[in-house]
Amino acid sequence: MTLLTTRRAALAGTAALAGTATRARAQAKPDVKIAMLVPLSGPWARSGLLEQMGARMAVDEVNANGGIKALGGAKLKLMEFDAGESAEKAKDAAQRMIAQEPDLSGGFGCWLSTFTLAATEVTERAELPWLTLSYSDLITGRGFKYVFQCSPTAGAQAEDIVPIVMDMAAKAGGKRPTKVALVGDNSASSVAFYKPIRGTVVQAQKLDLVVDEVFTPPLADATTIVQKLRQGKPDFVLLQSTNAGDDKLLVEKFAEFGLTAKKMALVGGGGHWCQPELTKLTTKENLESVIVGLANWPGKAMADVTKRFIERTKEPWFGHDSLFGYTHVMTLVAGIERAGSADRRKVNEALHTIDITDGPARFFPDGRIKFDEAGRRVGAKLCVVQWQNGEPVPVFPEAVATHKAFWPKA
Amino acid sequence: MRNGTAAKVRRDLTMLAILSVAYIALAWNVTNSYYQLILTLVPIWAAFGVSWNILSGYAGQLSFGHASFFGIGGYVMTLALVYWNLTPWLGIPLGMVAGGIGAVLIGTPTFRLRGHYFALSMLAYPLAVLYFLQYFGFQEMSLPMHRDAPAAFLEFLDPRYYTLVAVGLLIAAVFVCILVENSRFGLALLAIRQNELAAEAAGIDSKTWKMRALIVSGMMAAAAGGLYACVQLVVTPDSVFGMLVSAQPVVLTLFGGVASLWGPVIGAAFLVPLSKFLDAYAGNVLPGIQGVVYGAAVIAIILAAPDGLYWTLRDKFWKKAAPKPIPLASKPDHLAKASVTAGTPLMKVTGLSKSFGGLRAVSDVSFEIAEGEILGIIGPNGAGKTTLFNLLNGVLPADTGTATLGGQSMLGKKVHAVCHMGVGRTFQVVRSFPRLPLIDNVIVGAYGAGLSDQDAADAAIHALHRTGLSEIAGVEAGSLTNKQLRLMELARALAGRPRLLLLDETLAGLGREECDDILDVLKRLRDEGMTIGIIEHTMHAMLRIADRFVVLDHGAVLASGPPRTVVEDRTVIEAYLGKKFLAKLDA
Repeated sequence: MTLLTTRRAALAGTAALAGTATRARAQAKPDVKIAMLVPLSGPWARSGLLEQMGARMAVDEVNANGGIKALGGAKLKLMEFDAGESAEKAKDAAQRMIAQEPDLSGGFGCWLSTFTLAATEVTERAELPWLTLSYSDLITGRGFKYVFQCSPTAGAQAEDIVPIVMDMAAKAGGKRPTKVALVGDNSASSVAFYKPIRGTVVQAQKLDLVVDEVFTPPLADATTIVQKLRQGKPDFVLLQSTNAGDDKLLVEKFAEFGLTAKKMALVGGGGHWCQPELTKLTTKENLESVIVGLANWPGKAMADVTKRFIERTKEPWFGHDSLFGYTHVMTLVAGIERAGSADRRKVNEALHTIDITDGPARFFPDGRIKFDEAGRRVGAKLCVVQWQNGEPVPVFPEAVATHKAFWPKA
Repeated sequence: MRNGTAAKVRRDLTMLAILSVAYIALAWNVTNSYYQLILTLVPIWAAFGVSWNILSGYAGQLSFGHASFFGIGGYVMTLALVYWNLTPWLGIPLGMVAGGIGAVLIGTPTFRLRGHYFALSMLAYPLAVLYFLQYFGFQEMSLPMHRDAPAAFLEFLDPRYYTLVAVGLLIAAVFVCILVENSRFGLALLAIRQNELAAEAAGIDSKTWKMRALIVSGMMAAAAGGLYACVQLVVTPDSVFGMLVSAQPVVLTLFGGVASLWGPVIGAAFLVPLSKFLDAYAGNVLPGIQGVVYGAAVIAIILAAPDGLYWTLRDKFWKKAAPKPIPLASKPDHLAKASVTAGTPLMKVTGLSKSFGGLRAVSDVSFEIAEGEILGIIGPNGAGKTTLFNLLNGVLPADTGTATLGGQSMLGKKVHAVCHMGVGRTFQVVRSFPRLPLIDNVIVGAYGAGLSDQDAADAAIHALHRTGLSEIAGVEAGSLTNKQLRLMELARALAGRPRLLLLDETLAGLGREECDDILDVLKRLRDEGMTIGIIEHTMHAMLRIADRFVVLDHGAVLASGPPRTVVEDRTVIEAYLGKKFLAKLDA
């Protein structure tokens, strides 16, 4: 009897112990780690910081709403890495990220195409699913299986922007443009952009390419460019500069000679055209009516997110870079939820099969997240914003537009 | 391989073997893939440093643009892989060939420049290439993955194999450097580095040797660049042709020790991991701070060890044993003496003139030096004595006139060619190779004259005996006295077995007793049959040894003849002491 009691007690004790252990495991559910690798130092740091703000906000919101549901409410943790100022630094950092954090579920970055190209060579080998906003066609042109490009590629953007602008002109001004100018630097993404413009787009749209001026950044003086524009008298100018310093120099020199975007339509490309710093570098007047084509912009459906972001960060607006940081986190979370696992290979599988029009898909102008075999987002559409009263506002497509586009009267 | 370097070569090779084995053993036990990457990058950057050191360390041709070759290697390998599917195992050698060709193309125009101008011009090449690559659309090249046969395309899933290949590259680079350092190649480069003119005067064809150094260096840098691209997997113009790439070997080598075999290796072993660790741990806390800390660390160490870590540590902890005198291997030859026929003119100068703008530095000068005599060329400062020597041994082209040595014209030849004719020369300011033992300083002259390794060693030992320096043959030139340095220069000129010695103010800055010692050596040389032309402006020393005088003033010959006659010549006294003194003398 005594023996029996003792045994029973022992059994009960064991059971109780086991129960505690299970509960302890449930409470200390391992965090789900995702990585962010963006430039946090060097010339592109500001873009990286903007992306970081969006990403941090997304992580906080996910955790505030109960973490990863499919994993019993596991907390999401953002591991941040600095891509630095060069491709090799970015690649080194990616290597370090893989070495230090062996249990990552996914990641995103590195803003600049060159960095992304280098870093994804590492993430691909480590079989880590990687989201990026970078535009270069090369990123998803290498047959990689673990990279997901959320933006329309540079090539696609080049083909899209001109018809969109032509359309805008027709709607707002009533007259179809006939002459276009191409002004920009010789950096990788710009060169990729010019190819289809010069090759097919101009003919297809029956446009005359009256000025074709390529410079090496940083731009020293824009006077000769202005003179050519005055002679060529284009209906609109495609400005393919790639940093805020050159953007400033161009619009200021143009303004000096009376060529503001109110008189001659100026169409820039890329997130840097919409960074808050630009208003500190140059005046609102110089930027007024400048049109910018970019991969994404928070539209009217995101008013609440925009409000939260501005409250949280005190930034003047929620823009391209921050939006992508936010969206990347939300997309990765959708992938993890779908996979029901934090295993990176399973998350990758889930991202390849995902096809949603709700949740994070609402943050894209075309409203859908589905990646094709190469990792490009199917149906990725270009957004167009325009500087109006000192702030970039979305004017295209309809789904996101909050304002009407302005086009200079001929 | 030069004589007397066998022990050093053995020591260096043993060191290389031990270090390589230890390094690979270390690498094999590292599992963290980031540390593994660092272990791969150290030997690659070290090899790049070694390549830079050959041109800029040993030969002293400071290059701020070595990224040219690094980038050529990287891009040739990448383009061959992308467009022809050529494996990097062949792409890297192909890149090395391209690097060698690039070296010739870059060196041919750029070696016309010297010093800072050379350094700055070198800087321009990689920057120019950068724009070409951007223009042609090669901004971002990624190396295609070969999932089926990775090793055949120098792709390894296990990063340790990259380290193995990188160590192999460094072993090859260090081995080449050992070959260079311990042959006449290295000595010629060191001579050029110290003073290109003096090296030329010692018979070294500096342009050819510099070009060889650049080719070796360029090929080595290209190999490093090729492997670097393989490891990085993505090549951009900035990552292989950028300014920071050019700066890397400079910083590594200056840090580790310029013109030393192990300098670049030490530099890479310290600085590459330091910068990577800072990236990882400081940069993670405060992005960007790693650059500040790295810069401060480099500055601090350079301040503490301005010669580089290797030399500073060696000087501090490794004292050399007192050198032993070198036994005279062969009997001094008396061939030179036998062939001398006293009184026959050896060198004949007629109507030699040179103007710099309106200044007639040398004006219609004619004189002869007979075999076996000492001719003193004297005159006040600015009389044109050194210019005269510069015309005779090819440093400057003459405007008019002729100069012959044993019937052959000396004019219109390069400096080293005049040396090969049998003219040895010393300079007003002594140029030594302070880190090299005395004997190596002297042997340069023998190599310059084109002697074989054994003959050169004999000639150098012989020359040391003739100048009374054989007791201190193993002492580093940096610790010699002024007199010993003067004698060393004399020995260097003698090692080339010249027929005529042109000595430029050999006695300058010496005390009376030191003067006497040198004069004794010169007398002895004359007794052995050497013909000597010596420039001096102190009359009393000349009076004691010169057989004849030529007095120059304002570029023209004022007087010539036996010493006594010349010093009593009124025009000479006037030139030296002025009209006033002459008037006093007359009174």
